[in-house]
Amino acid sequence: MNRDRDCVILVKGDAYAVAIDDVLANGGWQGGQGIQWVTPIAVGIPTVTLSTGYYAGFALWGSDEPSDQYVSSTRQFPAYRFLVLGAGGWLISTISYEKYTYLSRVGLGPLVPIGYNAGDRLVFSLRGYWTIEDEWTLSGDPRGVNDYYIGFVAQAPSAVNSYYMSVQVSI
Amino acid sequence: MPEIIRSRDTTVFFYGDRQTVTVSDAMLASGWVGGQGVQWANSTVDERLVTYSRGFYGGFLVWGSDERGDDFASSTRQQLVYAYATMFSGGCLISTVAYEQYTYASRIGGGPFVPLVYAPNDTLYLSLRGLWTKEDELTLSGDPQAPCFFVGFVAQVPSFLNGNRLGIQTSM
Repeated sequence: MNRDRDCVILVKGDAYAVAIDDVLANGGWQGGQGIQWVTPIAVGIPTVTLSTGYYAGFALWGSDEPSDQYVSSTRQFPAYRFLVLGAGGWLISTISYEKYTYLSRVGLGPLVPIGYNAGDRLVFSLRGYWTIEDEWTLSGDPRGVNDYYIGFVAQAPSAVNSYYMSVQVSI
Repeated sequence: MPEIIRSRDTTVFFYGDRQTVTVSDAMLASGWVGGQGVQWANSTVDERLVTYSRGFYGGFLVWGSDERGDDFASSTRQQLVYAYATMFSGGCLISTVAYEQYTYASRIGGGPFVPLVYAPNDTLYLSLRGLWTKEDELTLSGDPQAPCFFVGFVAQVPSFLNGNRLGIQTSM
């Protein structure tokens, strides 16, 4: 299987275009990264920002992927301030998952890998990556327990799949 | 600024599943707004019958029973005449007038109405009269069938920018 993008679609669910806020337009995003709804500053159309644990869906394509270089689609998303959102039921294979535990990422010690297994339930992390950890609880977030489950691990990352994680999306 | 014409009770940006259903006598008598939540009801004949939601759901009726957008057209009140409606479910992205604007407690109490303040990503339910709301009214009312089912998220809060319509990502 040729995995030359951030997010490879194996089975397609719902997809539609939405506007992006300044955070996404200026900071960019990866294909497969989680996004959530946000109140637009001035424009009255549905708008998303990077997920902090909530969800609207995930971005099918990244804002500036290597595969888009030297073609007409180069950076078209941030330029026109939109992205294509995926929701519903999907089967994807993506690099946009947390590879290390939250505590090891915010601490000073060595990074501790997260061990994923097929069937694990997934939520979005505080930066919108797929993860098995409830980062709201781990960070003391006032939102409490993040039980917004949005998918399952279909295939754990390993050398045989170029360390992409396959996710059965349920949004 | 892009212009989104919201000339109906419910504007559909992305549709999920949809089907036609028969509507109850109560709904035929009183009508409904586009975006009205409905739930399944028992019938004495072989039909798929829905009535006003009271916290449960089958979906929402995308078109109102007598919207101004249907006036002077062949569709005027056709759903009431033929006792049917088009019900949406699944994952949709809509903008609708069919949401609760005031808290449940203030609506049933004698005091002033207290506005419901919606925020993006708020969890949504259907109220005891089938309108979209962030309050679990089965729990608030002490109903033994509590809690309400989760049916979607706030995608866009009501404001003058969108004609005070609530943007919803449905999940039902």
